[in-house]
Amino acid sequence: MDSERQFEVDKKFQKELNAGTGALLLLSTLKKSGKPLYGYQIAKLIEGSHEKGQVIKLGTLYPVLRSLEDNRLLSSEVEPSVSGPPRRYYQITEEGKKTLKRWIGIWSYTKDFLDKTIMEGK
Amino acid sequence: MITSKKAYINHLKKALSGCDRAIVQDAIADAEEYLFDTLKSMEKEDPEIDEPEAIRKIIETYGTPEEVALAYKRIELNTSPYGDKAKDSQIISENKEDPSPQIPIQKAKRKWYKSFFGIMAQPRAWGSLLYLLLLLPLGIIYFTWAITGISLSVGLIVLIVGLPFMWLFLLSVRGLALMEGKLVEALVGIRMPRRQVFSNKSLNFWGRLKNQLGDKYTWLSLIYLIICLPLGIFYSSIIISLVAVSLYLIATPVLNLVFHWPLFIDSGFLYYLPVWLMPFAVIAGILLIFGIMHLVKVLGTLQGRLAKVMLVRPNR
Repeated sequence: MDSERQFEVDKKFQKELNAGTGALLLLSTLKKSGKPLYGYQIAKLIEGSHEKGQVIKLGTLYPVLRSLEDNRLLSSEVEPSVSGPPRRYYQITEEGKKTLKRWIGIWSYTKDFLDKTIMEGK
Repeated sequence: MITSKKAYINHLKKALSGCDRAIVQDAIADAEEYLFDTLKSMEKEDPEIDEPEAIRKIIETYGTPEEVALAYKRIELNTSPYGDKAKDSQIISENKEDPSPQIPIQKAKRKWYKSFFGIMAQPRAWGSLLYLLLLLPLGIIYFTWAITGISLSVGLIVLIVGLPFMWLFLLSVRGLALMEGKLVEALVGIRMPRRQVFSNKSLNFWGRLKNQLGDKYTWLSLIYLIICLPLGIFYSSIIISLVAVSLYLIATPVLNLVFHWPLFIDSGFLYYLPVWLMPFAVIAGILLIFGIMHLVKVLGTLQGRLAKVMLVRPNR
């Protein structure tokens, strides 16, 4: 496999993984912060926790924020900002906290299962 | 190669072409927020940085316009209200880059009588009914507001307060348009923008007023607010008359036989419905009620589309 194709395949795999985990990442980031954050702040927090380069494209997280809000796991408020466009502040709801707890359970189960399967083959 | 914030936004618009306008507006608002804040903090860290370099770095973290567009398309598939999923997934499948398998669309084939009577269980039909009836009182408010605003703006233009007043009035028109859009989305289920269009804060008062005056959508929104009144009157009259007719038909046996109210009076003669026709009148009345709900749903959707065309900036 030439390196360009390898890169494409890896990128696609990473993208598919991110599609499923973005919501979990956002919920836990907002839970940890404990205060309302707007898109850019959330993006910075997530970017800050990357150690090995950029895994998730921040632009793909914004629509996830919206869908989480549609599902009432987040609530939001718009505040005008002095110098730029108005900012939408997101905060985790009670339902969101409960959901996060369950999702963490599902995540660790999936992770254990996958780890076990991967390691068996090694 | 994207070298400026404006070019990035334009690329994003292009990547989202064919999408619902409301998604486009939301996606652009999000990107503008991120680009604005990031560019500012980059300039703070390194005042020497030039825009192309900054944008290149931003794309590395935020994603290319194509990647971002794809994320919106995919999410919208699950969140559009009463989603027109068939249309949305068509957009998705057209995108060759999309790795997710195409979602099969099962078009439910229902028997005609089920879909005819099932209208009563459709939230969209009831939402449309509420919306169309609300349009009369709202239309009166919009109309009064618009006409008062226009007359005062024109009348005050010779005074120093005239232009600020006009600017505030046009802003209020935008606000009302956004509210009307939310109402349409909630009741009729047509996706509308959730965020306002970003106005350039660096402009001074004159620049902003000029922007407002030069924007086609300011005027279209104003026209929309004015025509809501006649449309509201039209919808309310149709709905109320049809409901009255169907209730009358349903009640004919009781009115004719118990209260001896004639069907109509002509030249002093009282006309009653023959008894054998009465069951048919009742059935016709009941069928008419269901028919009205179908009509209401169609009218609500048409009105919603009109609102979308007039209030939402298309994807350019």
